[in-house]
Amino acid sequence: MLMARRSLVLLVTLFVVGSCSDRDPIGAIQVTSTDDQCEVASTSTPSGTITFEVTNQGGNVTEFYLYEADGLGIVGEVEDIGPGVTRQLVVEAPPGEYLTACKPGMTGEGIRAPFTVTG
Amino acid sequence: MSLPSAPGRIRTPGQELRRLLLCPLSYGGAVGDSHFKIRRNGVEKNPCQPPLRLLLGMPNVAPVLGNFLIGLREGLEASLVVGILVAYLVKTGRRHLLPKVWLGVAIAVGISLGVGAILTYGPRGLSFEAQEAIGGVLSLVAVGFVTWMVFWMARTARSLRGELEGKVDQAVAVGGTSLMLVALLAVGREGLETALFLWAAAKAAGSTTQPLLGGALGLIVAVVLGLLFYRGTLRLNLSRFFRWTGALLIVVAAGVLSYGIHDLQEAGILPGLNTLAFDVSEQIPPGSFLATILKGTINFSPRTSVLEAIAWTLYLIPTMFLFLRSIPRPSEVRQPASAEPVPTHN
Repeated sequence: MLMARRSLVLLVTLFVVGSCSDRDPIGAIQVTSTDDQCEVASTSTPSGTITFEVTNQGGNVTEFYLYEADGLGIVGEVEDIGPGVTRQLVVEAPPGEYLTACKPGMTGEGIRAPFTVTG
Repeated sequence: MSLPSAPGRIRTPGQELRRLLLCPLSYGGAVGDSHFKIRRNGVEKNPCQPPLRLLLGMPNVAPVLGNFLIGLREGLEASLVVGILVAYLVKTGRRHLLPKVWLGVAIAVGISLGVGAILTYGPRGLSFEAQEAIGGVLSLVAVGFVTWMVFWMARTARSLRGELEGKVDQAVAVGGTSLMLVALLAVGREGLETALFLWAAAKAAGSTTQPLLGGALGLIVAVVLGLLFYRGTLRLNLSRFFRWTGALLIVVAAGVLSYGIHDLQEAGILPGLNTLAFDVSEQIPPGSFLATILKGTINFSPRTSVLEAIAWTLYLIPTMFLFLRSIPRPSEVRQPASAEPVPTHN
């Protein structure tokens, strides 16, 4: 029983550690989300691990999404970005066209803009 | 039932209460920052202006309130489940098992805060796919455990009749580990997400302490509400207690299930993310107080997909039926005859 418990803990730890992605604080793309605007610092980036640093300067709780080109499939998201708070989205994206979206108020289509991941 | 359409107009307490419950707690004059609109004389107006600050007289409530609601929502469900667990142990004379519950809570809090700090301040972050997968899996595991707990409580209710008649049913004894795990899952399921939110607020505390204050306050209020709820359930007679808390836990578990489905849909593991069963975001804005309470207790989402709705219904109906059938009738359940602890085994 003890061995099983220990193995489970080890497994979970390995999974969590293995799921961690290298964050790139220098290359992070700044996103400023307000109640009616979504300023993404750059609209293209090389493929690989992409880090968005989203700051909420509005009055509503906001979310940030990276959508596929069709605007439906979610590549990555970060939720519960309270007013005044900065959170990160770390995501792997192959080259292609995408859409970034800020959703102040956590509802609706959000404020969308094209985003390109270059090869 | 109408809401004022212009700032400065005199509003009745009822109107203010409706606005408090339904409007997102946004601050500032940004037009269209809420989707809650009413029609007056054929013209659409946004009744959620002006901001709440005119009522409270505070200049900048948004950073506190927005984060307060997040803290409240994250804390509510765990607070509810742990409250029921504690009430159950107290009412059935099993107080000696309480430390196991607190141990589970402490472990969940510790791990969440620790891992959250590492992820926030350390060099590595958690990928979106991993987050959704963890959330989805944990939710499904939590549903399993809560369901088990509900039926275990029902079995114990039947055994109390046996205690009164001098026949103690050993098979119903539960291990302390299982109790600890239920408490651990109740807190830990959303624990990492909450910890990430708190650490992000702490990071912002360099420039503004309001997010952290708001978030912490929300969590504290959630705990207080759980405490009040616990006190309330103590007053119920045993039969009603089993029936009502069991039914509530089943509704909560159904909500957790649909939330887990939603996470897996967002991760792309399950389809149908945008095939909605209903969307009441206009009537119940996600940032509002009402939406927060509904989400925090029974995981009600203003935007629910068909798959979530189906899973919710398919779980709830049979489980509730089986549960209500297995609960003994009021005449069969008595308070425990003595305060002697029931023998337990791991």
